Amino acid sequence: MEKVGPTSTAAAASGLPPSRPVRWSLVRKVTLALVTILLCTLLVSGFFAYYKFESVYSSLVQSRYSFVVFTIKKRVEDNLNLGLALRQLRQVQDVLEREKTRDPQVIAVEVFDARGEVLFDTDRGAIGSKVPQDLIEAIRGGSSQAFGTTDEDNLIVGLPLVNNLGKVEGGVVLRYPAVYVNHGVTGLLLHLLKTGAEELAVFSALAALGLYVLFGGVGRKLTGMEHTLNAVMASGGSALPGGDGFETHFAEFVAKSREAVEHIRDATEEVGRLDRLQ
Amino acid sequence: MTSRRPLLAALLIALTAMAIWPSGAWSAEPKPKPYRIYMALWRGWEEAAQGFKDYFTNQNIPVELIIRDAGQDKSKLKDFVAEAKRLEVDLVFTWGTTVSEEMLGRLDTVAADKHITEIPAVFAIVSQPLGSMVKDFASSGRNITGTTYLVPTETQANLIQSYRPFKRLGVVFNPLERNAQVAIGEFSEVGAKAGFEVISRSVDLVDGKPNPASIPAKVAELKKAKVDFLYIPPDTFLNVNRDILTGAALEQGIPTFAAGENPVLTSKAMFGGVYRYYTVGQLTAYKAEQILVHKIKPAEIPIDAPKRLSIIINMPVVRQLGLYPPMKLLGLAEVIDPTEGKGK
Amino acid sequence: MTLDHTRPLFIRLLLLAFIVLVPPVGLLAHGALGEFARGLVPEMDKKAETVGRDLASSIERAIGYGIPLDKLQGMDEFFAPVLAANREIRYLAVTDRDNRILFINGAMPELLTPYFSVTDFEGGGSRKSLIGDFVNLAQPLMSKGVVVGHVQVGLDQDYVQSRLMEIAVDIGVMTLCSLLVSVEILLFIVTFNVIGPIRAVSTVMDRVRRGDFGYTCGVISDDEVGRFVHGFNGAIRHVDGLFRRLEAYMDEIKTAHFDKTVVGRVMDIEARVRFLFRFSRTGQPEVINEHQATDIRLPLFLFVFAEEMSRSFMPLFIRDLYTPSTGLDQEMAIALPIAVFMFFIAAVSPSAAMISARKGSRRVFLIGLLPATVGFFMSGLADNVFDLTLWRSLTAIGYALVTMACQSYIAQAAQRESRAQGLGVYVGAVLTASICGTGIGGVLAERVGYRATFVLAAALSVVAGLLIYRLMDAAQPKAEPLSPRKREFLALLRNWRFFALVTFAAIPSKIALTGFFFFLVPLTLLQTPGYDLGDIARIMMMYPISVVLLSPLAARLADKMGWKAGLVAVGGLIGGFGLLLPVLSGDFNVLGVSIALLGVSHGLSASPQLAIIPDICWTECRNMGQTNVLAFLRLAERVGSVIGPFLAAAFIPIYGISGAVIALGAVVLGMSVVFALLSFAYGSGPHIEAELAE
Repeated sequence: MEKVGPTSTAAAASGLPPSRPVRWSLVRKVTLALVTILLCTLLVSGFFAYYKFESVYSSLVQSRYSFVVFTIKKRVEDNLNLGLALRQLRQVQDVLEREKTRDPQVIAVEVFDARGEVLFDTDRGAIGSKVPQDLIEAIRGGSSQAFGTTDEDNLIVGLPLVNNLGKVEGGVVLRYPAVYVNHGVTGLLLHLLKTGAEELAVFSALAALGLYVLFGGVGRKLTGMEHTLNAVMASGGSALPGGDGFETHFAEFVAKSREAVEHIRDATEEVGRLDRLQ
Repeated sequence: MTSRRPLLAALLIALTAMAIWPSGAWSAEPKPKPYRIYMALWRGWEEAAQGFKDYFTNQNIPVELIIRDAGQDKSKLKDFVAEAKRLEVDLVFTWGTTVSEEMLGRLDTVAADKHITEIPAVFAIVSQPLGSMVKDFASSGRNITGTTYLVPTETQANLIQSYRPFKRLGVVFNPLERNAQVAIGEFSEVGAKAGFEVISRSVDLVDGKPNPASIPAKVAELKKAKVDFLYIPPDTFLNVNRDILTGAALEQGIPTFAAGENPVLTSKAMFGGVYRYYTVGQLTAYKAEQILVHKIKPAEIPIDAPKRLSIIINMPVVRQLGLYPPMKLLGLAEVIDPTEGKGK
Repeated sequence: MTLDHTRPLFIRLLLLAFIVLVPPVGLLAHGALGEFARGLVPEMDKKAETVGRDLASSIERAIGYGIPLDKLQGMDEFFAPVLAANREIRYLAVTDRDNRILFINGAMPELLTPYFSVTDFEGGGSRKSLIGDFVNLAQPLMSKGVVVGHVQVGLDQDYVQSRLMEIAVDIGVMTLCSLLVSVEILLFIVTFNVIGPIRAVSTVMDRVRRGDFGYTCGVISDDEVGRFVHGFNGAIRHVDGLFRRLEAYMDEIKTAHFDKTVVGRVMDIEARVRFLFRFSRTGQPEVINEHQATDIRLPLFLFVFAEEMSRSFMPLFIRDLYTPSTGLDQEMAIALPIAVFMFFIAAVSPSAAMISARKGSRRVFLIGLLPATVGFFMSGLADNVFDLTLWRSLTAIGYALVTMACQSYIAQAAQRESRAQGLGVYVGAVLTASICGTGIGGVLAERVGYRATFVLAAALSVVAGLLIYRLMDAAQPKAEPLSPRKREFLALLRNWRFFALVTFAAIPSKIALTGFFFFLVPLTLLQTPGYDLGDIARIMMMYPISVVLLSPLAARLADKMGWKAGLVAVGGLIGGFGLLLPVLSGDFNVLGVSIALLGVSHGLSASPQLAIIPDICWTECRNMGQTNVLAFLRLAERVGSVIGPFLAAAFIPIYGISGAVIALGAVVLGMSVVFALLSFAYGSGPHIEAELAE
C-alpha cells in the first residue's frame, strides 16, 4: 500500500474533512473488556472457592463441636433418666468444665432449662441468667439433629436435652469463636487475593499483548487504508489491491471515488468552459 | 410509721423482683393460684408418688397436694371419691389397679354418683388398663388418662437377646400366683416367633404354700435343661425369696434377667429392664401438666409408658459369671457396682 | 488478517480469551485446593481426636468395671454408628498393649497389623501417624493409671481428596459459566465494534463500486474503525459535494443561459455524469444502518439468563411459600405458577409476534421488559402462592414479548444471511443463557437466598433494557403477511401426519420438559441427602448442555440423511426411556442421567421437528406460508407445556414424587412409541394427499 505525505496536508488538499482522532483504540477497548472479564472471572471463582471452603470447613468444625455437645447430651440425659431434675445434676458442671479445658477454643458450654434459665455454665457468673429466645425456640422440637446459630462474635451449636418421658427438659449449647473459623480460612483468602492479583497482572499483560497482535493489525490496516484514500483523493494514484476481498473492494472503491472526483471535476471544467465561451 | 411499712415492704419486694427479672411486667403478676390435686394411694407414699410430686417441683408448677392413703383398705375408697368431689379439686391421681378401678370406675361399671367423672383424673401403676379402664391406649374415651408400668414381653425378650442371643429361657415360678404364669405364656408366644424356647419349673408346694427351700433344686433342673438365661417374673413370692433364687442361679452359672428392679438392686440378678416407679410417677405428672396447664382434654392424651427403659446391670454378678455386657448396652445402662464404690 | 472474513478474527479472539481466562482460574483453583487441604487436615485430626477420646472414655469406663480389654462385647455395634455418622473416619480399632488388633471395624485387620506391629504408640496423648492411605490417630486407653491399649481412629485421605474434587468440580462449573458469559460479551463487543461496521462499510462500498454515491455508513465510534468510517464517509461526501456543486452550476446554466446549444451540451454532460454515477435524491447521502442478528444476542442472553436463574429452585421456592390455608393441595400449588407461566407464554406469543412486526422489535423488547422486570422483582417479594402466580404471569407476558421481539428482529436482520444462521443466533443465546443462568442462579440462591436472586434477575433484566435502549437504534417496522384465520389452522390438524407430530411428538416432549424438568427434578433432587441448591443447579445444567452438544449434530443428520421423522421418534423414545431409567436401575441417583437423556432427546428431535414440516405439510405451507405453519406447531406444542406441571402434580399424591417421575415417563414413552409406530407410515419426501382429500 502506498503512502503519500502526511494525512493532514493530504486531507486539506483534497478537501476531505480532517481525520477523526482515535480516542479509544480497538486494542484498548477490547483489552479493557477482556481484562474486566478476567477480573470478574477471577473474583467470581475466587470468592466461590472461598465460600465453598468456608462452608466445608465450618461444617467440619461444627460437626466436631456437635459431637462434643452430643456426648454431653448423652451424659446429662442418662442422669435425667435416673429421675433427677436437671437443676439437681451438680456433676454436669464438672462435665462442662472438663470439656472446656480440653479445647481452649471453646468459649463456653452451658446447660439451660426449657424456660431458658442457665443452670450450669463454664462461665459460672452466667448461671441464673436467661439465654436468648432463639435458643429456646431451637430446642423446642426436641430434634436429635444438632442446631447451629450465631450470637455476636460466637458460633453456637446445641442440642435439646430430652428426658425419658420424651419431654424437652432444656438444652446444651457450646459457643466457639467465629474468629476461629475465620482464622482457618483467612490463609486461603490471603492466598486467593495474592495469586489472584498476580494472575490478573500477568494475564492482563498477556491479553493486551495478544489483542495488540489481533486488533493492532486491524487498526493499522484501517489507518493505512484511510491514508491511501486521502492520498489518492488528494493527489491521484491508486490503492493497491490488498490481500483479501475487502481490500480489493476497497481499492475499487478508491479508484471509483477518484474516478468520480476526476470525472466531476472534468465535467465541471467543461461546463465552465461552455459557460465562459459565450 | 406502721401504715407505711407494708408499702415499703412491697416496694422492696418489687425492686428485688425487678432486679431478678429483667422485665418489670413479670414481677407485677401475682403468684398463680396452685392447682389442687387429690392423690389417692394404696400402700403409702412410695417412688411413683415421689416422682409425681417431684415433677411439679422441678417444673416450677405450683400445686397443692391433698394426699390420702387407703392403707390397702378398699372400703376407704368410697369416702375418697366423696371427699374429692366435695373439695372440688382440679385433678385426681390414683395409684394402683384397685384404687383406680374403685375411684374412677371400670368401663362397664362407671357411674357419675359412685365415681369421679367430672373431675379429670390420671392413673398410675395399673397392671392391665386396656379393656378395663380404657378402650384404647391412644385415647381413653373418658375424662381420664394415665400411664402403664409393665415392660412389654417382647421388649424384655429383645433386651435379653441384645445382651446375648439365647435359645432357651428358664423360669421358676409360684403356681399360686397368676402374674408369673401370664408372663410365661406371653414369653412362649414371643419365643415361637423369635425362635427361643421357654422352660419353666414350678416351686414345690408344702401345705398349700410354696416352699422356698425347693428353689435351688428347680434352678439345678433348669441348668440341666441347658437354659441360657433365667427369667425372674414379677412374682411376690420370688421377690421375697430373691436371694435364694439369684444365689442358686449364680452358683449354677446361669445369668439372670429380672422383670423387677429389686432382684438386681438388692440381690444377685445379673441384669434387669424395668420402668422405674419414680419415672412412671413423673410421666403421670407430665400428663397431669398437660391437662392442668395446657388445658388438653384427658381423652386426647394417649396412655403410655416412659420412652426409655431403665436397664440395670449388676456388675459384681457380671464379673463372677464372666459374661460381659455389650458396649452399647453398657452405655445405656445404670451399673450397680458397690465394690468400685460408685453407682455410675 | 482479513477484514471481510471476520470469523477467523473472532475465533482467534476466543482462543485468546480461553488462554487468558482458563489458566489463571486453573492456577488459582490449584493453589486454593492446596490451601484447602492444608486447612482441612488439622481440623479433621481434631475431629478424629474428639471421636477417639469419646470412644476411649466409654471403653475406659467398661474396663473400670473390671471387663478385660479383650473381652469387650458388641464392639461392632458400638463402632458402626460412629463410622456411619462420620464419613471421614474410615476405620475404628482397639489394640492391646502389644499393638495387637483386638477389635476393628471398617478395614481388614491384615491391612493394619503390619503397621501397628512396628509402630510405637507409647507416650502420652494422642499420636498421629501415616499408614498407607490412612491417617491413624492413636488414643491411649488408661486403666488405673496404666496404658492398657489404644483406640485407633483411621482417617481416610481419600475423603479429603473427594471433598477437594467436589470443590474443584464446583469451581470448574463456575469457570465454564463465566467463560460462556465472557464469550457472549466478547462476541457482542467484536460484533458491535468491528464486524458490524465492517459489514456496513462493505455494503456501502459495494454500492460505490457500482458508481452509487448515494449512501454513507451510519457508524460512529472513537476507535480506528470509527476513524476509518469517518474518512470513508468523508470521501463519499466529498464526491457528493463536488457533484452537488456541479449540479447547482448546471441548473444555473440550464435556467439562465441564453444559448440553447450550450444548455444542450450541459444536459449531455449531466446525463453522462448521471449515467456513470448515482447520487442521493435527497440532496445528501443517506445513512445506512446495518442490522446484525448478533446485535440483539447479548440483551437476549441477559434476559433469558435472568429468567433461568430461578430454574433450579422455582418449585422449592413455591413450596416454601405454600400454606395449606389456600385450599390447594401442595402439589397443585407448586404446579400452578409454573403452568400459569407456560400458559401466558403460549397465550401471548402469537400476538406478541404480530405486535413486534408492527411496532418494531426495539420497542416491543423495551415494552416487554417492563412487566418482566416488575414480575422478577415482585416474585422476590411474593408472600403466597397466588401472589407469586400473579407476578410470574406478568413475567411470562414480558418473556413472550421479549423473545418474540428478538425472533422478529433476527428474522429481519438475518434476511441477507440464511435464516438458519439467524435461528442459530437465537437458539445459541437462549441455550447458553440457560446453562449459565441455571448454574449461577442455583449457586446464588444458595448463597444469598431465593428472594435476593429474583431481585438480581430484575437487575439483569434492567441491564438488558439499557443495552437495547442505548445501543440499538429503532428498527424499521416491517409489514408481515396477514396471519391466516383460525379455520385454516384447524384444517392443518386434519393432516394426520401433522396431527401425529403435534400430539405424539411435540406435546409429550414439552410435557417432559415442564412436568419433569421444571417441576419434579428440583423436588426430587432436594430429597436426595447431601444435595444443596448448587448441586441441583449443576445437575440441571446437564439438560441445556446436552441440547447444545446434540442440536447441531441432529440438524446435520436431518439435512444430510433426510431422516427427520426417525430422529424425532428416536428422540422421543430416548426422553421417555430416560424418565423411566430410575425405575429400571432401581436407583434415584441416576436422575442426572435422566436429565442428560432428556437433553439428548430434545437436542435430537427439536430441529428435525421443524425441518419435517415442509415435507409433511407441503400443501399447507404453500397456502398459508411456512412461517405460519411453524408458528401453529409452536402454539400447539405449548398445550403440552401447560399440561406438564399439572400432570406431574396429579401424579404425586398417587405415586409420590419419585413415582410421579416414573408415571410421567410412562406417559411420555407411551406417546413416543405411538409416534414411532406412526413414523414408519410417514414415508419420505413431500406429501400432498392432504390436498387430495379436500
